[in-house]
Amino acid sequence: MIPRPDRMELKGGGRVLWLPNPASPFVSFHGSLSAGVAAEAPGEEGVAEFLSRLLLSGTKHGTARRLSQSLEGRGATLEFHTAEDLLIFRGRTTRAAAGTAFGIAADCLSNPVIPAKEVERVRGELLTDIRRDRESTREHAEKELLARVFPSGHPYGRDPKGTEESVTSIEPRGLLEFHERCYRREGLIVSLAGDVDEGFVTSTVAKALESIPEGASPDAAPPPTPERPSAGFVDLPHKSQADIAIGLQSIPRNHPDYYDLNLANLLFGVIGMYGRLGASVREEKGLAYYSFARLRALRSGGHWSIVAGVNPVRLEDALRAISEELDRIRERPFTEEEIETGRLNQIGGLAVNLERNAEVAGALHGMELHGLGLDFLARYPEIVKGLGRESVQGAGERYIRKQDCSLVVAGPIGGRTFAL
Amino acid sequence: MTGSTHWVEHMLFKGGGKLAKGDIDRLISRIGGKFNGFTDKDWTMYYETVPAEHLETALFVEAERMRNAAFEPKEFDAERTVVISEREGSENQPEFLVEEELWGTAFHVHPYHWLPIGYKQDLEGMSRDSVYEWYRRWYAPNNALLILVGGFDPESAMGRIRTSFGPLAPERIPHGPRATEPIQSGERVSEIHKPGEVDYLEVGWKIPDWRHVDIAKLVILVGVLGGWRGFSLFASGGWTPRANRLYRGLVETKLASDARAGFELRLDPSLLSVSATLTRGVKHAELEKKLDAIVRKLKESPPSATEMGRARELVRAWNRYEVDGVTLQGFHIGQLEALGSRESFPQFLETVESVTPEDVREAAATYLVDSGRTTIRYHSEGAA
Repeated sequence: MIPRPDRMELKGGGRVLWLPNPASPFVSFHGSLSAGVAAEAPGEEGVAEFLSRLLLSGTKHGTARRLSQSLEGRGATLEFHTAEDLLIFRGRTTRAAAGTAFGIAADCLSNPVIPAKEVERVRGELLTDIRRDRESTREHAEKELLARVFPSGHPYGRDPKGTEESVTSIEPRGLLEFHERCYRREGLIVSLAGDVDEGFVTSTVAKALESIPEGASPDAAPPPTPERPSAGFVDLPHKSQADIAIGLQSIPRNHPDYYDLNLANLLFGVIGMYGRLGASVREEKGLAYYSFARLRALRSGGHWSIVAGVNPVRLEDALRAISEELDRIRERPFTEEEIETGRLNQIGGLAVNLERNAEVAGALHGMELHGLGLDFLARYPEIVKGLGRESVQGAGERYIRKQDCSLVVAGPIGGRTFAL
Repeated sequence: MTGSTHWVEHMLFKGGGKLAKGDIDRLISRIGGKFNGFTDKDWTMYYETVPAEHLETALFVEAERMRNAAFEPKEFDAERTVVISEREGSENQPEFLVEEELWGTAFHVHPYHWLPIGYKQDLEGMSRDSVYEWYRRWYAPNNALLILVGGFDPESAMGRIRTSFGPLAPERIPHGPRATEPIQSGERVSEIHKPGEVDYLEVGWKIPDWRHVDIAKLVILVGVLGGWRGFSLFASGGWTPRANRLYRGLVETKLASDARAGFELRLDPSLLSVSATLTRGVKHAELEKKLDAIVRKLKESPPSATEMGRARELVRAWNRYEVDGVTLQGFHIGQLEALGSRESFPQFLETVESVTPEDVREAAATYLVDSGRTTIRYHSEGAA
């Protein structure tokens, strides 16, 4: 029996969800504001990520050192990250330290100061990270793929970090303007799991979060327009391995076909040691250590992709094997046994994948973000049981289309080009 | 041959006995479980996390592959490219190359000299029979620990364990003397030059094995130096501690974009290491000069009461966080049992609590010394 979480709406905007685990000695939290990459206006590329990295650099009420001393002196953690649609904050704290942790989180979100010294530190950190990503065959291939799958400039196709040029030109004024416009309570969602109850949420969490300025959230990202498939090849001659990234646009999380496609994706390249794809590319042919598929369903759209790490000499073999697996979606439909295995995996996996406080908090957050309802976890097994072979197969054929996939290969490819 | 143990781990997913190839995947996936294996410097671990009512399936898998893995020659050969691919994927990361160079330079005799994945030339020449012999020698119930965490009845679980593992024959486990690393008598330095855009530094100092009384002092020393992030391998995630001397001395000053300190609990004398990613334009010498000053200060004067309190609190906090969920609890208990006994861990934590500022200074003066130091400089040269 999966318990039902509780939910509270904050005065002036914002929602808090929680699920107690009386056996746990601490609480994990997962929060967000609608201040991700999608909130960046033209010319603001990279600002969301830059600002999120500055949030622990000081507020009107405390210096960076004071913030970190207060958190770590009480054994609490707090991190900020930027995703496509959201600014995400998460951490862990004991109940005793929660007042401090949530007070600091709310203060960072409401009253950041932008010290010039810290701006330059973060700028250096971002530039280093961008260069490091460029040197990673996998990061490079995945980022390049997204840039090809989505129309130029769409937030889902951009690296949240921005480019070297954008990071170099970001000014404190632009960061403050973004904060003023986007850090608003309407889109606030905070979920908690562990040592938590209603009294704690009211007295500690809600009280702190209600100090975040009220106001409307920025608009969601526009649904991306279709993009023609293309290919890109990045030669990194000093590397040992090449990475292949293949993918196309996909559906948003609230699309009616989501559950069918999610199951098709599971069977194709996720389950066990990575589904049909892993069975062929890794287990049968020994072409790669990792070879898997991923469905990322967001607010306004999504993407589906394959990633494989391959010895450069065997790139053609690996691409042929991947291409065959993509063809097999139509040529050898999922069997009833595969579908049943997938259904059982998703139902059984519900408990297994919610064993940690952080996992529960993340799941509650997703439920609220996508409007799935407080009974979602209880309904989920029935949703999955209702997925039939035909609908799953249909979703696989509709959304995993080889002819519409873009392809990127990054690594020591010696000037070669490839095709699916 | 380096990498044998890790290769064994790969082969244990490929069937044998009552398990056909792909059965482990099918059996565990069908019940919504997760599973994997890890080869560490001191131990190899396999795990399944499954819904409680399916405990028997996990026990069946582990008992069956403990003695009956097939090591089919065809499967062994097919796995060669997979293992090499794993290594090549790691080689793509400068951090892996730095880590391999650090242990390879710091240890000349002890098997900590190489990383569990092994060297490529060994992987290319590895024979099925040698790996199979390795498996048969070490994989037996009398050389294994079985950890169960979660919703089960102990008595009934023990019955199932006896049924599953009881028939497995013990093996004569070689208990010869462990390799002892000769005492290091001077700083060792190695430079890596590769094309790229980002430079790295890692410095390691020899420290004793985990049973040594000074390990508790080193826990607090690491807390003061770089912030404590737990004992377990997988618990800390991406959290960056900031209230520590490395962050303030190297990151706030823009010499490095990140810096961390840590050590793993090891059966034999090991390394405490500091690693950093250099900010563009910063030379290794500048960073090392600052690091030397930070270390010198630790050796000269005890940490403040605030630093001590913070380090202790982080240890307490991570002791809570790193046992969140049955999987991490299993990892944690398994790690402690492989080292000795989890029974002594609470006592160890009490010892950590009792560490004094002077203990930390003394530990720094004893272990953060040039005669036990290994420095690895990774130089990126020219954008590719």
